[in-house]
Parts: sequence; C-alpha cells; structure tokens
Amino acid sequence: MSVLPFPSFLDDVKEKGLKRAIFEGVNEVVERATAGMNLQDIREALRGEAASRKPNPRLQPHADGFWLHMRPSYFHKSVTGLYPSFRLGWLSTYFVFFETITGIFLMIWYTPSPEVAYANMLNIMSNVPLGQYVRDLHRLGAEGMVLIVFLHMLRTFFTGSYKKPRQFTWFSGVILLIITAFLSFSGYLLPWDQLALWAVTIGASMAEAAPPEIVGTNVNLLLRGGPDIGANGLLRFYLLHVLALPALLFVFTGVHYYKVIVHAHSLPPREENIGEDTAKRVPLDKRVYFIPDVLTSEIMWIAVATFVLTVLVTWFYHAPLETHADPQVTPLGTTAPWYFLWLQGMLKLGDKTLMGVILPTIIIVFLLAIPYLDTTPSRRWAHRRFAFTIAFILLAALVALSYMGLGEFGVKTSADSEIIHEMVKEPAHNHMGVLLPVPFDQLVSGMYTTHQLEALPGEEADVLAAFNEEVQQRPDYSTILDYMDTQQHLALTGGLNFAPIPADAPELNAALHDFAELLEENEGELHEPWGAIIITDTQNNLKRVDVIIVWDEVEIDNGHPVLDATGEPVLVIDEATGEPLTRINSQHIFIHRDAQYFQAPGA
Amino acid sequence: MNLQRLLVDRIEQRILVGVLAFLGIMVLVGWIAINEGGRMQAFERQYNARSVERGAALFTANCSICHAVDGRGSPRAPALNSPYLFGHDFLAENTSERAALEAELNAEGLTDARRDEINARLAELETERANLTAQMQTAVTLGYDPEAPSRLADLGWTSGLYNFVYTTLVHGRPTSGAYWPEPMAAWSQTAGGPLRDDQLQDLSNYILNWDKGDAWTIEDLLAVNQFPIVPGATAGEATEGSIGKDTEIAAIMEGLAGVTGDPQAGQAHYSDPVFACTSCHTVAAVAPLLEGTWTRVQEQRLQEAQFAGYTGEQYLAESIIHPTAYTAPGYQPVMPDYFGDRMDYQVLADIIEYLKTQDQPVS
Repeated sequence: MSVLPFPSFLDDVKEKGLKRAIFEGVNEVVERATAGMNLQDIREALRGEAASRKPNPRLQPHADGFWLHMRPSYFHKSVTGLYPSFRLGWLSTYFVFFETITGIFLMIWYTPSPEVAYANMLNIMSNVPLGQYVRDLHRLGAEGMVLIVFLHMLRTFFTGSYKKPRQFTWFSGVILLIITAFLSFSGYLLPWDQLALWAVTIGASMAEAAPPEIVGTNVNLLLRGGPDIGANGLLRFYLLHVLALPALLFVFTGVHYYKVIVHAHSLPPREENIGEDTAKRVPLDKRVYFIPDVLTSEIMWIAVATFVLTVLVTWFYHAPLETHADPQVTPLGTTAPWYFLWLQGMLKLGDKTLMGVILPTIIIVFLLAIPYLDTTPSRRWAHRRFAFTIAFILLAALVALSYMGLGEFGVKTSADSEIIHEMVKEPAHNHMGVLLPVPFDQLVSGMYTTHQLEALPGEEADVLAAFNEEVQQRPDYSTILDYMDTQQHLALTGGLNFAPIPADAPELNAALHDFAELLEENEGELHEPWGAIIITDTQNNLKRVDVIIVWDEVEIDNGHPVLDATGEPVLVIDEATGEPLTRINSQHIFIHRDAQYFQAPGA
Repeated sequence: MNLQRLLVDRIEQRILVGVLAFLGIMVLVGWIAINEGGRMQAFERQYNARSVERGAALFTANCSICHAVDGRGSPRAPALNSPYLFGHDFLAENTSERAALEAELNAEGLTDARRDEINARLAELETERANLTAQMQTAVTLGYDPEAPSRLADLGWTSGLYNFVYTTLVHGRPTSGAYWPEPMAAWSQTAGGPLRDDQLQDLSNYILNWDKGDAWTIEDLLAVNQFPIVPGATAGEATEGSIGKDTEIAAIMEGLAGVTGDPQAGQAHYSDPVFACTSCHTVAAVAPLLEGTWTRVQEQRLQEAQFAGYTGEQYLAESIIHPTAYTAPGYQPVMPDYFGDRMDYQVLADIIEYLKTQDQPVS
C-alpha cells in the first residue's frame, strides 16, 4: 500500500528511511547522467582504485553516453605521456571551444558596422566589467591557437605520424591549420581600427593578384564587398569569422578527430617495427583507461593552459586597439599578423601574383600532399634524412621570410619622413614615437635643437646663442618661419630661439639624443642636418610638440646618395641663388597629460 | 616535509596541478574583477585624453584658418576659446549678492539701520558692477553683453554644450553666411562633409577642453577677437534709413505709398542671405510656402472677420514687420521681428510686389 494513491518517492522513504532514500535517489540520477557510473564508481575512479563491480562501469559512458562516444575508452601507455603528443592536439581542440565561448561573450557587445564597431570596442574597454579580460583572452587565444596548431603539425611530421594509414588525418589537419589562420585573420578586421583596416587591406589585396585578372578582381570584390573595405567588407569578414569559418572548423574538427580515433594515436616510432602499425592492438598491461587517468590529465592541461593565458592577460598582454580606421591615412610600416609575415616577406621578393598567390598555393598543395608523396614506410628519424632536410630548409625559409616581412626590412620612405615618424608615431605594433612616453611634466615649453648636443657640458648656452644667431642669418630663415606658419599652423612670432633642455627633463633630453642619433645615421641622405623640437602650450593639460628637420638636399640615385670623386655627397644646387638647396620637413603631435603613453615592455 | 607527506604523496600530481591552476584562475579573475571599476575609469580618462589630442590635430588642420589656432576667433568666424561660449558669468557673484540683499530688503520687519546698510551695499555693488563692465569694455564693443554671458542661454539651447558643439559640427550653420564672410560648413559625412562622427567627437572634446570652469579671467574675455552674433539681439542696431521694427502699421502703409516696388528686385531680396527668407519658407512644416502666398492671402486670410478693411499689401507688410501680430493658422509665432530694422520701404515694397506674383492656385 503506497503512501499516496500512486507509487512515489515517499514509499521509498517509508521503506528505507529518509537518508537512505535520498542517497539512492541521487545515486540513480548520477548513474543516469554519467550514462553508467554511480557515486561509488566515481569515488573509486578518483581514488585510483580498480573498479569494484563488473562489467567495468568506467566503460559504460563510452558505450552509452553521447559526450564520450567518440573518445576511446583506453589509450596505449606510450601515448599518454608528454612525448610523443605534447598534448598539442588536445590543446588545439580546447582552443576551438575556448575561442567559441569568449567569442560569444564579445558578440553580445558587438555590431558589425563601421559606424559603431569602434565605439563598441571602447564600450567593451570602458564600460563592460571583465570586457577587456575577455577580449584579451580571445585575441591571445586566437594567436595561441595558430601557434599550437602549427606546432601540432610539426610534431606530427617529426614523428612520422602522417604515414600510412593516417594520410587523410594529416590532410584534414592541414585544412584545419588553414581554417585556423583565416579565422584568426578574419577577426583582425572587426575592431575597425587602423591596425585592422590596413592589415586586412594588405591581405585582401593578395586575393586580387590571383590569376587570371578577371578571377582576382572578382574574388577581391566579393571579399571586400566593394573596391575598398567598408561597411560591406566588415559585414562579410564578420560573417566569415562568426559563421562560415567556425562551421567549417567544427566539421573538419569532427572529421579529423574521427580519423584519429579510427586509426588510434600512433605510437612513438621506436616502439614499432618498420612498416607496422600496432596502435590499435593495445596489450592489456599497456592500457591506460580514459576514466580516470586520461580524463583528469586532459582537465589538468586545459586548466594549466587557461591559467597561463590568464596570467599573460593580467600582466603581460593586452589586445591592441589603435585609432579609428581611416581609409585616408596609410600608416607607415603596416605589417600583416605575424603568422602571415612570411607571405609579406615573399611579396617583397617579386611579383604579386607569383609570390602572393601561386607560390603559397603550391606550398599548401605540397603540405596537403606530403603523406602521398612520402610513402617510405619507416617512421624512424635515421631513415628520414631526406624528409627532415627538406623540412628544416622550409622552416629556415619560413623564419627568414617572416623576418623579411617585418616593417624594418625593405620598403623605406625618405629618411626625413622615417625619422619624424620614429619620433612621433602613434602606438602601433607595440612601438610608439620616441616623444610620446616622455612624462608630461618634462615637456617643458620651449625650443630645443639637436645642435645642443655638439656643445661640451656647461657650454650649451653659449653654443646655442651662437647657433641662434647663425640660424637667424640664414638666407632661408624667413622661409622656415613661413613654412611653419602656413603649413604647420604654428606662428613663431618671436622667431627661432633655441634654449638648452632644462636639467629636470632628463627624458626629454634622452629623446633629443635619440633624435640626434637618427639624424647622424642618415647623414648620407640628409647633408648637415639639424633637428628642432618645439614645445608649446595649447590648452589646459595639452601640449603641442613640433619636430623639425632642416638639411641640405643631396642627389639621390635609386635610393642611394650620389658621391663625388672624394667620397662626399653631391649637393643639389639652387639655380636661382647658386647656394645648396635646403629642405625642411616637420610634423606635430599633441600630448595630453592623461594620455598615458608607456613604452611597451621590451620595445 | 609536512607538505610533502600530507599532500603531494597522497594525491596524483596531475590532480594537484589541475586544482592549483584552477584556483589560480579564480584568484586572478577575482583580482581582475576587483580592479575592474578603476581600470574602466582609467581607460576612459586615457581615451578622452587621446581623443583631445586627435581633436587638436583636426582643429589645427581644418578649423584654425577661420577660428584661429588658439580658438579666439578671427574676422571670419567667432571665438570658441571664449568665456561666452562656456557661459562664464563675470558678474555672477555680484548678481547673487544683489539678489539676496534685494530679497532681504523686500522682507518684512527690517530695521531702518539694516535697510540703510543694505542700500549702501547695493550702491557699492552697482559701482562694482559698473567697474567690471568697464573693464570688459573692449569685449562689449565687439558685441559682448555682461548681463547675458551665456551663448547657450542667448540661443535658448536647452541641451548641454557638448551637444551644441557637436551638432554645430555635424550640420554646420547653413544660414550663417548671412552674417559671416562664409557660412559654417557641415563637417559630418552624414551631412555631406569630410569628417567621420568619431572625428567630430574628438573635435568636440578638444573644443570643450578649453573650458576653464571658474578660472576664466577678464583677460581671456578681452583676448577674444570675435563674438558670435546673437539672432535678434544684435539686430537691435537699426540700419540707416530702415523702417524700424516698432513703427505702427498705419505709418508703414503711408511710407509704402511713396515708393513703387519691383518684383524682380523683390525676388533678389527674398533669396538674399541677409534676410534668409528661404531658410524657413521652403519647408511647409516650419513656415508657409512661398508658392501661392498671394492667392492664400486674397482668398482665405482676408475673408476672415479679423482682417476686415485690410488690403493684401497691408497683410503682407504687417506679417513681415510685425510677425507676431498674427500667425497663419497651424504655425507657431517663431518668425524673428527684426526685419523692420533691416530693410527700408523700397525693399519692403519690392518684396511685397514679388509676393504678389505668387498667385498660383491653392490646392
């Protein structure tokens, strides 16, 4: 006779007592939720004991549950340590989910439109609690994922794990590497800052080089949604980033992992006879069961990975955010993201179509085809000298090309523009102009010149007084003042009157030294140069800093100064006066007391 | 070691490491969360500072030619670095003390001694006021009124200064060509200008950074080269030979009898930015349209009882010179009343003749 008119939990309570009835109820729920393991089973597993009942309940979740149905119930002892996998495959998988989750949080605060995307970033940074944290994690995770996936591929190559029967596993893995790189790259554009716009402009212009021309032009148009990247381009990259590429990534992750399980993890090469694949035949004494050993180890790895990321974004890394995207202003020294630097380096070597499209395509096809080209049976290092040689040559080329892709290498503008840029550039790629991090209190209003540094200590005032006189006697003195007034909107009503840098402004002094050094380095192109830094008060808490370079123009041929018989540069002569032609270049910035420019660590 | 015996030996290392890493994450996230308020504020402060920097560069490149590099205005455009724009009242202390004393004076139960004291102090304040105003004389000559020291109040602008500056940048001042050598252009891309909205925000932040709060000095005021023109108020100076905005309608009609209007000249006056008729009478929601004016006057308005004895000319003349005398049905009395000070009888007659050509049938 049940308590209620129908059988219920209360009957259990009546029969067994409350405590026992509750325990048994919970136990049953746990067993159903884990598809086979009750509380006692879990307890035994976590304590490292053998299962106390048969059949082994630790195999049930693999057989009956959804979440573990694709995970093998045991691994070979030789593949569960750090070597040979370094856990790179598991970490790659983890990053897929990590990026998805952090990405969803960012999506909540983001609208893919040029009008508001940048304001969204500011809102995330200034108004969303933990907004910067999640953004940093997402960005760092993206870069970390590219690195981990690449290392995973290297590891697979060096242990020969791409060989028969795992050719297609490698093939799908290369596809995942490409998708990962493009996922990371497509996310670049979304903040809609200068970094985003120009990195992506460079990237998309490579698509334009695809032959024949009609294909390139149209691929470029499809990608950008117009001749330039604007609202359409942003929306397309957004959809690629949050929809198309993740969908492909999930599908290929499934394919890839399915293949991994079908063939089982390859053993370290030395443990097998040449040409044999024994990964699927695991002797009883070599089995390491997924529950609990592999599972806890995997959880440890993702906990450590997340901890490392958190430490990095707490103290060492913040996702960059430059000024608002401006199609009208091309920043000097724009580079692609680091994982595409090799491509940018190749582009500097030659034709855009050959270097930007044809060769990369050949490289990708080569990577995909490696297991089908290299059909030698042995996975042992000693037997793979040829393959290793090729690999190391390619890796060396990758490093060299990436170095060549840096802004420092190759394309330069004129020396004066480079120097001024070096002095005043906005923060970008962890670099900023020499003058920006000078503390506000040390930006003492006045006029300073690199000529000061030619004086002996203690004689600066006299040397500068003489220099002032010399400058004021120059035939082009009024031209300089006129240039500053009309071009730079700085009326120097009192003329040029340089003074020594005050003793309590050591960092301004250091900046002046850097300025002088830059001038000296470029003396071939800039003959007898002198530089000036003019600091004026503009507003409350706002200073204006003008950087000026004056030099005699020399004849330049093909980027190099022309030298006469004595090794001196040939000066350009002003035909009207017969005097050497002097040139002036200048740029100014404004610095606010609260702008907080700090030199990046290591810069 | 105890720790070795109690913990490390008893637990799988991976579990220990995993748990420690997890606790580490929790501690760090907690640490970040605790500091989040301060960090967000710091970011905002830094961002605003850099916004001012960018605004300064934009101002120097785009605005300084007319408004001057230091923002103090030139004959081409008014000052922005000006206590008038920021609404600083140099007489504020004086005014508030005077108001308090006057209130006390009107209160009951005041002793005669106190009354005398107050009156003496009021006289002192009046002198002080006159002195202050005298110090500001250069600015007063340029059109500054110490009794009406706020641009926003003069314009009846109910929102804040930032919005005033920002919307001015967005749309420009289409009609300001009537009183400045060239009109303030629309700068926003949404209004056909060259700058993006975030750049206009930078510019607004820069302009607002001129604010000195309570620290504005009379020297700042005297350094201003140009004050903006207050609609209506500055038109108080009647031009030579003008009708005068307070002239009775009967006198106006007499004056009109002496001149003959020319519709072509009237059309020119109508589109002259000095009168700027077109800035309102082109949008039916704001003001009656030009087309069909004469028909409406004849067939509709003059049929009403209140206009018994009016001629069409008188109706139009009174509408222009005394716009608040009556208003066309469905419209607010918002037309300025300074036209009487700005035109003579010939111009008025020309405009009326021109309006008489607007006899298209009313739909």
